[in-house]
Amino acid sequence: MNVQQLGETIKDRFGPDVIDFETLGPDQLYVTITPESLVAVAEHLYQNEGCRYVINSGTDRRQQRDAFLITHFFTQDEEKIYIAVHTEVGADDPQVDSITPVVPAANWSERETRDMVGVVPVGHPDPRRLVLSDDWPEDLYPLRYDVAHDVHPPPAEGVAPERLEPPEGASVVPIGPFFPVLEEPAYFRVFVEGEQVVGADYRGFYNHRGIEKLGCSVLTYNQVPFIAERICGICGYVHSCSYCQTVERAAGIEVPDRAEYIRTIVLELERVQSHTLWLGIAGHIIGFDTVLMQTWRMREPLMWLCERITGNRKAYGMNLLGGVRRDIKPEVYGDIRGVIDKIGDEWAELAAAIPGDSTLMARLQGTGILTTETARKLGAAGPTARGSGLAIDVRLDHPYAAYDRLEVTKCVHDSCDNLARVLVRLEETLDAIKIIHQALDDMPDGPIMAEIDEELPAGRQAMSAVEAPRGEVFHWVLTGTENRPERWRVRAPTYANLQCVPPMLEDNALADVPICIGSYDPCFSCTERMEVVDVNSGQVRVYTEEEFRNEYDQPGDK
Amino acid sequence: MIASKLKEAILSLRPGRVTLKYPFAPHDPEGDFRGYPEIDTDKCIGCGGCAAVCPARLIMIQDIDQNTRRIVRLLERCIFCGRCADVCPEDAITMTKRFELSTDSGREDMESECQVFMATCQRCGRCYEPPSALDKIMKPGLRNDEVKRGGQDSPYKHISSE
Ligand code: SF4
Ligand code: SF4
Repeated sequence: MNVQQLGETIKDRFGPDVIDFETLGPDQLYVTITPESLVAVAEHLYQNEGCRYVINSGTDRRQQRDAFLITHFFTQDEEKIYIAVHTEVGADDPQVDSITPVVPAANWSERETRDMVGVVPVGHPDPRRLVLSDDWPEDLYPLRYDVAHDVHPPPAEGVAPERLEPPEGASVVPIGPFFPVLEEPAYFRVFVEGEQVVGADYRGFYNHRGIEKLGCSVLTYNQVPFIAERICGICGYVHSCSYCQTVERAAGIEVPDRAEYIRTIVLELERVQSHTLWLGIAGHIIGFDTVLMQTWRMREPLMWLCERITGNRKAYGMNLLGGVRRDIKPEVYGDIRGVIDKIGDEWAELAAAIPGDSTLMARLQGTGILTTETARKLGAAGPTARGSGLAIDVRLDHPYAAYDRLEVTKCVHDSCDNLARVLVRLEETLDAIKIIHQALDDMPDGPIMAEIDEELPAGRQAMSAVEAPRGEVFHWVLTGTENRPERWRVRAPTYANLQCVPPMLEDNALADVPICIGSYDPCFSCTERMEVVDVNSGQVRVYTEEEFRNEYDQPGDK
Repeated sequence: MIASKLKEAILSLRPGRVTLKYPFAPHDPEGDFRGYPEIDTDKCIGCGGCAAVCPARLIMIQDIDQNTRRIVRLLERCIFCGRCADVCPEDAITMTKRFELSTDSGREDMESECQVFMATCQRCGRCYEPPSALDKIMKPGLRNDEVKRGGQDSPYKHISSE
């Protein structure tokens, strides 16, 4: 089914409820529907069209349309189509039906939209606050256009978080709020009976930095790539690429071939860098520091290489709209090959040693099970999904940059345990090295930056995704006036993967909890890019396993 | 098991010692590294181009009066992107290889200020030629950007001072 047909099918099925649909290229569908039909359309896409849920977004359009725009994003990976379902709700009565009962993966993002834009998801099974701190004023919605980007409400006294009790007879083991393994803010409350985990709570979002708001209120188009890059401290380039691709697509900017190849190479270098970092951390988590020392030693020359190519070891600052800022000079090709081959050789040795190491295997095999079904239901992405047998990879499903001209392998394992996620990353790293070689072989000559002589038109939209080391990074932009987006929505892969942790923890021994959490390579900072500096009141809100179960295990739910 | 451990031991022993002495001994970055910028105030004509593109928004422009434009840079926020140097029409900005931003005396160490005599300038912005339409000056004319230093007026005051 092509994108036009998919649009027609939805139109036929829902008749007058589909106000309009439009397509962008062969891979993007924008459907505008009535608010009344939202749940039915979402259910149809999820159940009948085999779509995967991506994220929800809310846009304050009171200036233009006297309404809030609510958008749910889906993807049909087999047909290689991204779908945006828009619906407008009146400014005087900002509420919309929740789709979480039929599409469980929408849980967090609907709550986020309520927190940020103030559109209430009616019928949401867990309508508590998600993103804002507990003492944030009730009626201050940071992403509304009339709220300043640097608003700073005073901390409130005497506010209490909603906290749920552990199951009868279980004790609570707190991990966090400063997650000791990754040195990032996240708070898990693990419920245990003896050694056995019977449930878990998660409370995060301690570290909001207001990045989307900045992008839509004070920065200009060409400033955003740099802050986008800072969404993640390990794999930030994926965000900068994804943002640039999205705006380029919306505005019809043609990126030169050579720039696409350079982006691809840097993206794959970043993947190698990120996976080597991750393997080291994973070793560290299970108390096997040799792995940490050796993988990080292997990784260091790559960091220096990136410094040579881009100017910095991390946060490369390579992208602007229209292309890249620095060329990779042919003199450097040899050095790139040398560095990655050396990593590849050592990596292969290391990978060969792992299956024979019974200490490692005991920690990895059969622990942290995330079933294929749960992974799909909660919208898992990247190696977390591929380790659970879901064959999704944006590089192949929705090719971007130069990936349509290169050979990429989907590394999928179906044992659904921590080992599977390790193996996926081990293989993927070697594959990334191959991709870099191919890209260097085929690198076309030519300019690296498109000329942009005119301001970008307002009111255009596009979606774009990048396969980050941790999974699918998704961006949507609605272009605006004043040289900046009207709305820029980001979904980092950890946002989806984090929701999979509680089911993953259950039935494990307490000692395996850290590696379970570590095994999906969480990046809390990515997840918490949203809005306004949290005043760090130290207050805790929790999200429990029980709630996950109640919400997700509903009859008729796939 | 033993074989695996041996393999791991060999892998670990082969490279020898790799730890660098930094920060106890200097470690100069390689040739193409981009550190923070240095401004040659004699060359600056006060066009404001650098302030328009700086993603960290650390370059503030204040027109004290028609004659004098004051340019304040709070380099503690610099992200080493080099955009300012890319667009400067007078090549007044050079990217250095210095990257250490922490100081033991206070944030003022990382602030720089220059004053440009602009008596006949209409602030039309035409002396700055943006590399693309997206890099144009958004605020032409007389300007009075708010300078948010690390001290008294800082939005982060509640974190930094008490
Ligand atoms: S290098 Fe970048 S962040 Fe630093 S002053 Fe220049 S433009 Fe601003
Ligand atoms: S771009 Fe150059 S000339 Fe213009 S204000 Fe900045 S430093 Fe001065």
